[in-house]
Amino acid sequence: MTDYEIVIGLETHIQLNTTTKIFCSCKADSWFDPPNTNICPVCTGLPGVLPVLNQAVVEKGMLLAAAMHAEIQPVSYFDRKNYFYPDLPKGFQISQYDRSLARGGYLDLPMPSGYVRRVSIHKLHMEEDAGKTKNAGRERLIDFNRCGVPLVEMVTGPDLRSADEAAQYLIRLRQLLRWIGVSEADMEKGHLRCDANVSIRPRGADYLNPKTEIKNVNSIEAVRDAIEHEAARQIREVEAGNRIEAWTLEWDEDAGVLRKMRSKETEADYRYFREPDLLSLPITDEWKERVLAGLPELPLERRARFMQAYGLPEYDADILTGERNLSDYFEAAVQAYGGDPKRVSNWLMNDLLRMLNDTGRTADQLKVTPQYLAEILKLVDANTVNTSTGKALLAKVDQSGKAPRAIVEEEGLAQVSDDSAIRAVVQEVLNESPKEVESYRAGKVTLMGWFVGQVMKKMRGKADPSLARGILEELLGGG
Amino acid sequence: MSLTLEEVEHIANLARLRLSDEEKERYRQQLSAILEYAARLQELDTSQIPPTSSVLPPRSVLRGDEPRTDLTLEQILANAPQSEERQFRVPPVLE
Ligand SMILES: [Zn+2]
Repeated sequence: MTDYEIVIGLETHIQLNTTTKIFCSCKADSWFDPPNTNICPVCTGLPGVLPVLNQAVVEKGMLLAAAMHAEIQPVSYFDRKNYFYPDLPKGFQISQYDRSLARGGYLDLPMPSGYVRRVSIHKLHMEEDAGKTKNAGRERLIDFNRCGVPLVEMVTGPDLRSADEAAQYLIRLRQLLRWIGVSEADMEKGHLRCDANVSIRPRGADYLNPKTEIKNVNSIEAVRDAIEHEAARQIREVEAGNRIEAWTLEWDEDAGVLRKMRSKETEADYRYFREPDLLSLPITDEWKERVLAGLPELPLERRARFMQAYGLPEYDADILTGERNLSDYFEAAVQAYGGDPKRVSNWLMNDLLRMLNDTGRTADQLKVTPQYLAEILKLVDANTVNTSTGKALLAKVDQSGKAPRAIVEEEGLAQVSDDSAIRAVVQEVLNESPKEVESYRAGKVTLMGWFVGQVMKKMRGKADPSLARGILEELLGGG
Repeated sequence: MSLTLEEVEHIANLARLRLSDEEKERYRQQLSAILEYAARLQELDTSQIPPTSSVLPPRSVLRGDEPRTDLTLEQILANAPQSEERQFRVPPVLE
């Protein structure tokens, strides 16, 4: 059998997190609202109304374009895309066609297996969302809450080569959208929607075969599954001597099958023309500079810097830059601590991340501030408390919001490093455990851990464990 | 520049218009005449003239991102042919 490779391009629709819709002052987010709560004459297409462009949509679009390394155009235009469907009350969608907000661009995907896939961006434009329709018996009910919600449509080149790469693209895009604050990017709420164009070809070929378009793959898992199914189907067809036809398919996530959809209108059928109700959109250098001044260091840049500047392993850097909040937290803690960044990373990844996951919070909501984490690390370094008390302090600080040092004093948690105090307790433990002492002396040296545990227990966890171990070894007379 | 009957039918279908045979032929002639006129305009050399997509000054008016409510749900649904459960009700879409 021929060795095939999959060629994938993704079309994504990104819902921007502005307060209002793109062309009217209705509230954009209707997730918790009943149908038709946020509608007005403009977004329900009443005669005689005029669209007025939301400045925040353009500015968030500019941020996204810059983050995708796309070139923001000095002048762009809006166009009408004409088609009839009940979810579109005007009979056309205001979109951008040939002169859109930005051109070009790319996103790099560091793949878990070590290589980097660069995905080019073919299109990036602003447009309005359509309403929602649902069948109710022999009728159809329409909710226009979503009509006019601002979207950025972004289309990649046919640059992805596996279902995993396609999934990775969505993961990195979602991370980026949240990072730069332009979208909540919650796929379950439809903030990030995806269609996948899939074709196959013999590995190494440089031509493109006819592709199919898979609609509505709206979770990372669905993208992976749908593409794998479709590529396998295409390979079977080609191996059987059949041709691939340019179908539009729909992924049924529950049944795990692809269904053929009614063939859609072709590009020419949309009869695009300039939107006469909106003027051109000039973007001056001054405006652009002002907006892009708000663009933070991007996740992949910060990831690389964490590896370089702090000597973190790729694994740590990847997790710590998963969210902007978390990476800000890490950096603030490293600065406050002044010691080994890897130590900060370990405490964050082992303990604080669990606290965040358990309580569904983000790093900026922790009562254990970066300064408090640094303080705890310093207390451990100075042997004021031992490691396990230090970890217990994380929870105590997070509950009370008090400073770690204050808690140590209040609760008398300071470690006992007084040789004679520990020595007395060690002697007590040895007196109470003649059998274990005998076994240890007979060669069962693994009992050392048990002895240390007994001492710690008696001292309510406050003994310096290495000191306790030293005294135990001394009194037990070696192995 | 003459349109075929099939092209007229396709355009009518996109606009969701049902035309009689007589109308199809009439619109075929009218639309063909419009296209011919456009074709004549295209003969002019406009390579030295900047495109004019609007005669208004090329400056969009932007709106601040402030929410505002306009009409009530009842006022807007008053424009619906039929409504049910706060929603517009239309015939089902024939796929
Ligand atoms: Zn509105």
